[in-house]
Amino acid sequence: MTLSGYEALFFWIFALAAIFAGLLTVMARNAVHSALFLISSLVSVAALFVLAGAEFIAGVQILVYVGGVMVLFLFVIMLVNVGAEEKGNEEIFNNQRQVAASLIFCFLLVGGVLYAVNKGYSGLQKVNPPAETLAEQQAARDQSHAVSATKVSRITDDTQRVGASLYRYAALPFEIASVLLLVAIIGSVMLARTLKQESAADDLDPDEPKS
Amino acid sequence: MLNSFIPILALFQAAEGGRWAQTWQAASHPDLSKFLVIGALLFIIGVAGVLTRRNIIVIFMSIELILNAANLNFIAFSRYLTSIGNVNAVAGQIFAVFVIVVAAAEAAIGLGIVIALYRNKETIWVDEIDLLKW
Repeated sequence: MTLSGYEALFFWIFALAAIFAGLLTVMARNAVHSALFLISSLVSVAALFVLAGAEFIAGVQILVYVGGVMVLFLFVIMLVNVGAEEKGNEEIFNNQRQVAASLIFCFLLVGGVLYAVNKGYSGLQKVNPPAETLAEQQAARDQSHAVSATKVSRITDDTQRVGASLYRYAALPFEIASVLLLVAIIGSVMLARTLKQESAADDLDPDEPKS
Repeated sequence: MLNSFIPILALFQAAEGGRWAQTWQAASHPDLSKFLVIGALLFIIGVAGVLTRRNIIVIFMSIELILNAANLNFIAFSRYLTSIGNVNAVAGQIFAVFVIVVAAAEAAIGLGIVIALYRNKETIWVDEIDLLKW
């Protein structure tokens, strides 16, 4: 699965954008800036999904994360944030010892993960068939796809395969996920209501403290 | 022992097929391992955010970053398994869909809890939310 040419160039652009936007998400002082940097990180990762041939997931990522979850985050920031951070007198990180300990932990994690990825991938390459065979097989698979209207590329069948698998191979988890979403909707409505709304639902006098 | 020094010696080799040429070759053809490294770095940035920040909303955003890094790994492995001809490779993308569903549910519940907490405690700093601490 090697990318080449412009794909490689865009891979590095979007990879660096995702990582820098992720770092700025964690380091921004204002929570709204954090949310905006997180949106750019998510969009960059969606572009990486397109490069990896998962167009459907990239679209879902943009629609659900950027269009849904991040808007929810921004709403809650507006509701909750009283502007203590913008004044600049509040510390945004934990105390020094906790930050130092967690950064040491993170650097150990970086070292361990990079070592494991390199070691594991070089082992994986030994098991695989040689790259020329794989390239030939890939070209044969590409031949079976329909040519697009502009005749410069081929139409991928990724969305079709994901949809078919979601309703056959993963039908039960799909239904369970719908129940999970229903539970999440009801739960967040229950959690976010005010005391007054709670008393109204339970048919109590809001001024009386509950026994 | 000598083997571990050979890459360092090769650094000084500017000839064709030297270490720089190999590095350029690897960088201009990103493969599975590059995707995994990017995913790992995003994951670790998210972990650092969860461990160091005081604002509970930014902690939630870091959790989203972590889940997204896991998705990147799923997609990269799906692509890799497709390229070696595995017929079930699309399972990685299915898993990514479910991760996105769970992330959305988690964000909705978590932000509901944040609003309820803010209503009762008037704070979003996690070190001041210590009702369960004894």
